[in-house]
Amino acid sequence: MANVIGRSIVIDGEISGDEDLVIQGTVKGKISLKESLYVENSGVVEADIDTQNVEISGSVTGNILASEKVELKSDGRMVGDIKAPRILIADGAVFKGNVDMDR
Amino acid sequence: MADSNTVVGESILIKGNLEGDEDLTVQGHIEGSIQLHKTLIIEPGGVVKAEVSVANAVVSGIMVGNLLASDSVELTETGRMVGDIRAPRVIINEGALFRGQVDMGDLEMPRPSTGVKPSYRPAPRRMEPTRPRLEPVARPAPKPAPPKAAPPPKAPPKPARPEPTKVVKPPKAVGSKKKVVVKKKR
Repeated sequence: MANVIGRSIVIDGEISGDEDLVIQGTVKGKISLKESLYVENSGVVEADIDTQNVEISGSVTGNILASEKVELKSDGRMVGDIKAPRILIADGAVFKGNVDMDR
Repeated sequence: MADSNTVVGESILIKGNLEGDEDLTVQGHIEGSIQLHKTLIIEPGGVVKAEVSVANAVVSGIMVGNLLASDSVELTETGRMVGDIRAPRVIINEGALFRGQVDMGDLEMPRPSTGVKPSYRPAPRRMEPTRPRLEPVARPAPKPAPPKAAPPPKAPPKPARPEPTKVVKPPKAVGSKKKVVVKKKR
């Protein structure tokens, strides 16, 4: 029962919470979650992200700090820095930025 | 890959420049620089400390230095790399360890359609340390200030010491009880 930000939704501001969040629309600002963030194909995020897990199939501009894992899927596009113990970049993903897997 | 393939064996250490036109498999050590028009394969156990310019690179061993590839770079699950990667295709597999910059060329990012000016600025290279968020501590609502008695009009200046007439200030509320609330978060 994840929270879904639908396609037509545009948010400008901060999102924080304890549940999984699926983004199909647009979010600008800041996202802090204790769980996982899923940016789907149609999702556009321009925000600094602080979560446990992030899975990107859409596009993200901003810095990501994840306590567990960041996964950039083959459709994912990202510009920004990633800091997480586990970082995966699939073939086809587009990325520009810094990667830090320091544990 | 029908053409020849060079293998730098486990006990081999190469220091210097290496240039070539065929695939290169590294099981030993190479320090310096590598320029290839084909594929560089660093096997588990292989160590490359070099500036590398190749068509493709597959890192299953250790790679320290900057890696420029005209086609692709792949870090496999046993790959360890510190340095910057520039290639149109970069693949990082689960288990790989990497620290550095990744540049896959110019990419167009969709602009959010908020109609608000985009405010993203490229962040400083260093990420801020994670800090627990500060939750605002619930504070009792500020009490309305006690009704202050109108300050008594100042006595007329003493004749002995004629002061220049000052703006009469209300006396400071000395000892007004300010509650200091110390609350432990938790």
